Amino acid sequence: MGSYYDGLFSLCGFEHEEIEKERPRIEASFEKLGIGPGDMEAACSRVSRYHDVSLEGVRKLLGAWLKELIDLVLAREDGRKIVYFGFPAILGPGLMLCASSEHVFVSAPDMVLDHTMGQIFNKLGPILEAGEANGLPPGHALCSLWQAKIGGIAKGMIPVPDLALASSYYCDMGSKADDLVTALYGVPIAYIDGIMDSEWGEYPGYLPERVHYLGAQINKAMEKAEKVLGIKIAPDAWQRSRKNSQPFRDNLARLTEVMKADPVPVGLAELELLEALSGSSTGRGIQEGIKAMNILIHELEGRVEAGLGIMEKGAPRIMVRLGHTSDPAVTRLYEDAGLAVPLTYILASRGGVAVKPRGNYGTPGEIIAEYEMTGGYYHGTEAQIRLYEKAAELMKLDGFVAQYLYNCRPVATISHIQKKYLEEKTGLPVLSLEIDNFDSRAYSADSLRTKVETFAEMLRAKKGR
Amino acid sequence: MLVAGVDVGAATAKTVILGDGRILGHAVNPVGYDIKSAADETSREALRKAGLSPSTKNFDYVVSTGYARESIEFADKTVSEIICHARGVHYLIPSARFIIDMGGQDSKAIEIGEEGNIVDFVMNDKCAAGTGRFLEVMAHILHVASMDAMGPLALGSKEPCPISSTCTVFAETEVVVLRARGKDRKDLIAGVHKAVASRVAVMAANLACRPVAVFTGGVAKNAGVKKYLEEEFKTEFLVPEEPQITGALGAALIAQAQLLRK
Repeated sequence: MGSYYDGLFSLCGFEHEEIEKERPRIEASFEKLGIGPGDMEAACSRVSRYHDVSLEGVRKLLGAWLKELIDLVLAREDGRKIVYFGFPAILGPGLMLCASSEHVFVSAPDMVLDHTMGQIFNKLGPILEAGEANGLPPGHALCSLWQAKIGGIAKGMIPVPDLALASSYYCDMGSKADDLVTALYGVPIAYIDGIMDSEWGEYPGYLPERVHYLGAQINKAMEKAEKVLGIKIAPDAWQRSRKNSQPFRDNLARLTEVMKADPVPVGLAELELLEALSGSSTGRGIQEGIKAMNILIHELEGRVEAGLGIMEKGAPRIMVRLGHTSDPAVTRLYEDAGLAVPLTYILASRGGVAVKPRGNYGTPGEIIAEYEMTGGYYHGTEAQIRLYEKAAELMKLDGFVAQYLYNCRPVATISHIQKKYLEEKTGLPVLSLEIDNFDSRAYSADSLRTKVETFAEMLRAKKGR
Repeated sequence: MLVAGVDVGAATAKTVILGDGRILGHAVNPVGYDIKSAADETSREALRKAGLSPSTKNFDYVVSTGYARESIEFADKTVSEIICHARGVHYLIPSARFIIDMGGQDSKAIEIGEEGNIVDFVMNDKCAAGTGRFLEVMAHILHVASMDAMGPLALGSKEPCPISSTCTVFAETEVVVLRARGKDRKDLIAGVHKAVASRVAVMAANLACRPVAVFTGGVAKNAGVKKYLEEEFKTEFLVPEEPQITGALGAALIAQAQLLRK
């Protein structure tokens, strides 16, 4: 006997048997989330309109996000110890916790809500408003991911965690917002302190002191997690978790190869779905994501072999830092304007031009820290610009969109410096674009269209098209 | 060959008609609630002014631009207003290399090349400071009949009153407080104009303001803003005879090129 949501779940890659097996959990989670029959038509229409659901891999990716949502919402009922981390965060500590106990659930709830309640159901607004009503009003200079997390808890959609894993070495706002989670809900925090600043010219090198310090912070946070969660981190947890997630990293490298094709075989909205999953889930989402990615890349290789793509051959190629986490209409804007997006930051830093770790460190924390150092993300502005410069060559780019969010300190200034230096170093145009990649209430697709279309026209004129 | 460019912005709808490469007529009207009617009526008015039958079916090709460009049903193609402004200004002033366009809800700075191509551009984000809307709000609280009427009053000021707020709403409060303190009206108005010019200059700081610089859009009719823009950018700004229609003109030129390509 089917139910009102079967169509949506089929569209999102669930097999019939999976829906049957998952049915009680779908219904229990939907009740908490306030999702009902009236939401299905709009959700199906939204998914079909903004995602390339002709690809099975994309459908399965959407399904992986839904599974992560269900597991998140029901984590308490499932009797699991719950740990939340913020995005972007190092995944290593979370993966280690999961590898040490099947009773631990580690996730980035803000990203899960964005990709499901936002991208699929278009019901993120009330969650953000609940976050605003609980200590994060507009103008507090924190991105909406924190509003999503606190709003989700405040509305009773997602459980209060047992532990918050706060890492300030990329975004120093995360630890401040987690203070609010402690103040409101008494959640203990394991801080991973660190800094992303480095000397210009240091990258791709990195000082051993930085690795030692960040590594020590990760080890300290893991000790606290052991105490709070009442678990023991297995001696081989890091190796096992790396092994489990290695296929995802391997696939990013394969994907980078596929995206070198002209025409590009898939759009930014799909890249965003899988990249964000790799930084948001440590459990079922990531494992299902790996399966989806295997299918997707195989399909894309087929498209490339057949000379098929989603854009015209010869369309201007740009790199965009990140797609929109909650509003795919904004993500689609670039392709609607005739631009091909073969590369994003995560794909570049993890699948493309990142340097290899040297492997000179002994403790799990240091090994994780070194791995993070190789991506360039945890360095200063210059490292990111050098990565972009390499990416231009790798992907035969025609330009860059340097997005920035006024209330995101790690990217707000970089985009302006990036414009100056990349234009000088590569000779390629850079559009410095103020955009909120998490919340489209102030930056809708309509408000951004004129700039993106003009930039596209500039690039086409430069290519003589 | 009859082509048209239709530019529907936040405050006004503009249409320019070209026939055999010449401007045959143009019209500018306020946009009411019904955007489609405004575009239709403005286009028919432009046709009447050109001595032609007032039906949009007479056009061989139409390009629409402006924020409502997608809503113009009789348009054959849509093009962003930044491209259209560049094209229109280049047609009127071929030596132009830098444009400031200030409209009702946005402002743009555009660097253009020798062929009228865009070299670089910036456009205001979600902030109204530096736009016509900012001046309209200030005209209202300073009891001046219109935004344009404030210009000559600003020019009469000897000591513009500094307005430090960068937000339209907060600037309004600041002006109300200064008014209550008895500041001279002309000095307040001049301060408002200086603040608008300053916001635009900050926005365009990373572009090269090379001569010939051109000032377009509805706000370009305000002599006070022009004066303070020239102070900020340290260069003279030319204002076309009809500064509001450069976007529509550019759209019409693109329409003409499209038709010739067919």
